[in-house]
Amino acid sequence: MGSFLAPPTMGESPVWPRGLSLGLRRETFFSLLLFACAWQIASYFAPPYVIPGWQAIGKSLLHLHMEWIAVTAVRVLFSLLLSFGLGALLAMLMYSSRAFERYLLPLLKMLMAVPVLCWILFAVLWFRGVEFRIAFVLVIICGPIFVIDLLDGMKGVLREWREMLRSLRPSKFQFFQKLILPAILPAVLTSWKVNLSLAVRVVTIAELVGATSGIGYGLVVAQGLFSIADIFAWTLVLVVILLVAQQIITLLEDRLLHWRESA
Amino acid sequence: MIASRQEGDRSSGQFNIRVNQLRKVLRTSHGTEPLVAIDRLTFSVMAGEIACIVGRTGCGKSTFLNILAGLDHPTEGEITIGENTPYNAFDLFKGAVAVIFQQDRLLPWRTARENVELGLEILGISPGQRRETAEEWLTRLELSGFLNAYPGELSGGMRQRVAMARAFALDPQLLLVDEAFGHLDEVTARQLRVDFLKHASRRGTTVVMVTHQLEEAIETAEKIFVFGKPARLLAEIDTPAALSRMSKEELRTFIQETIDSNQPRQL
Repeated sequence: MGSFLAPPTMGESPVWPRGLSLGLRRETFFSLLLFACAWQIASYFAPPYVIPGWQAIGKSLLHLHMEWIAVTAVRVLFSLLLSFGLGALLAMLMYSSRAFERYLLPLLKMLMAVPVLCWILFAVLWFRGVEFRIAFVLVIICGPIFVIDLLDGMKGVLREWREMLRSLRPSKFQFFQKLILPAILPAVLTSWKVNLSLAVRVVTIAELVGATSGIGYGLVVAQGLFSIADIFAWTLVLVVILLVAQQIITLLEDRLLHWRESA
Repeated sequence: MIASRQEGDRSSGQFNIRVNQLRKVLRTSHGTEPLVAIDRLTFSVMAGEIACIVGRTGCGKSTFLNILAGLDHPTEGEITIGENTPYNAFDLFKGAVAVIFQQDRLLPWRTARENVELGLEILGISPGQRRETAEEWLTRLELSGFLNAYPGELSGGMRQRVAMARAFALDPQLLLVDEAFGHLDEVTARQLRVDFLKHASRRGTTVVMVTHQLEEAIETAEKIFVFGKPARLLAEIDTPAALSRMSKEELRTFIQETIDSNQPRQL
């Protein structure tokens, strides 16, 4: 997925000017086009409730509740920001205190071993508010991943760099600001990519249970109406949301980590 | 701390270094015998002196330098710089002590100029002033065309020059140098040594330099301390006085024999 919309490298020609293409390479464009053609051909031979044609999917796309896309996007973004904030705080505490790390790490590993479906059921049993349930599930799934990734990033900062900076006698805040934060930035962005992909998939499942809006609810409605084209349309929307979000992070990476090109 | 010191400051006793019965025992995590890295080390370096420490690889030279930099504590004994110990009064030496490490240790996400500015940022110097200082030092060290280059775009010698500029930009009173030129080719190392000495002596900085290259020590230092293994003082040599009595080659042989015998010797 990472290379799907990766920016063109030297010697590769983009299909259209880079600003418009979101980094779409010629090869990527043609492989997508090939897939779309194969899908359309298959739709002529299979019944419409198995493989609906692009015309039917397109018609469904036009009639989707666009506000539900925004609702799901806001839920994902809010929960990820909350997960990241809590994750960063815990990672910093664990980095600062070995004892804290020794107590917390086993708990985090235990939380990460619980399947998503179990968390959704717990959320339904424990909480009444739908929004709170969804946020809870996303934070409990994505938060520990942020903690582990950030902690690994902090621990991975080279001893030589730490010694060099300590020799300049910075305050604790300066140590974090000048060394730890920029050094873990690649790990932070990678963690965001992983969690975005996870959150978009998890939020859909969470919305299947009890929500009255959002893409997950849209899928439940489509299933109830036995509208296969709507299900495919929602799926397409999910894939596009994910790819666009991933591409935004890739662009951020290009901007913030451009020094890596020289390394 | 940034304000330039005058040449007369070399005689100031503020940065006299006294090492008294220093001992460092390293405890390993895998249950083997504790390792004595430094054993009852005693000597002193006067303010403004350029001192070199030589000895076998792994004899505790870098451990000593880390304690002197305040980055580590001794097991017994003490080091004082003026009236204070650098590891206990850590913050007191902010901006006054700078280290040039064996590897350049530049931060790859910062340009050459930003790397030089790092120590000045920590001291809270204004952006304009630190930019000016960084550019001035990079220009002095012949890197004016590479102010905005990232470390990945520079050669080993250029990177070490940036590391040198980072240390000099602080205008430190004590400069610690840990085999900073040893990994470079001889031509580059010689040129860097010349530049380093020019700037260090012009500013009257006290320098403690660790090296395993005897020629470098003889060419550079006013005083040479020969360490045994574990680190203890085998010989203390006043280089100009020694060179008035013997050739460079004879002095080199004396130092080498002292290191090989691992026994204290008088010149």
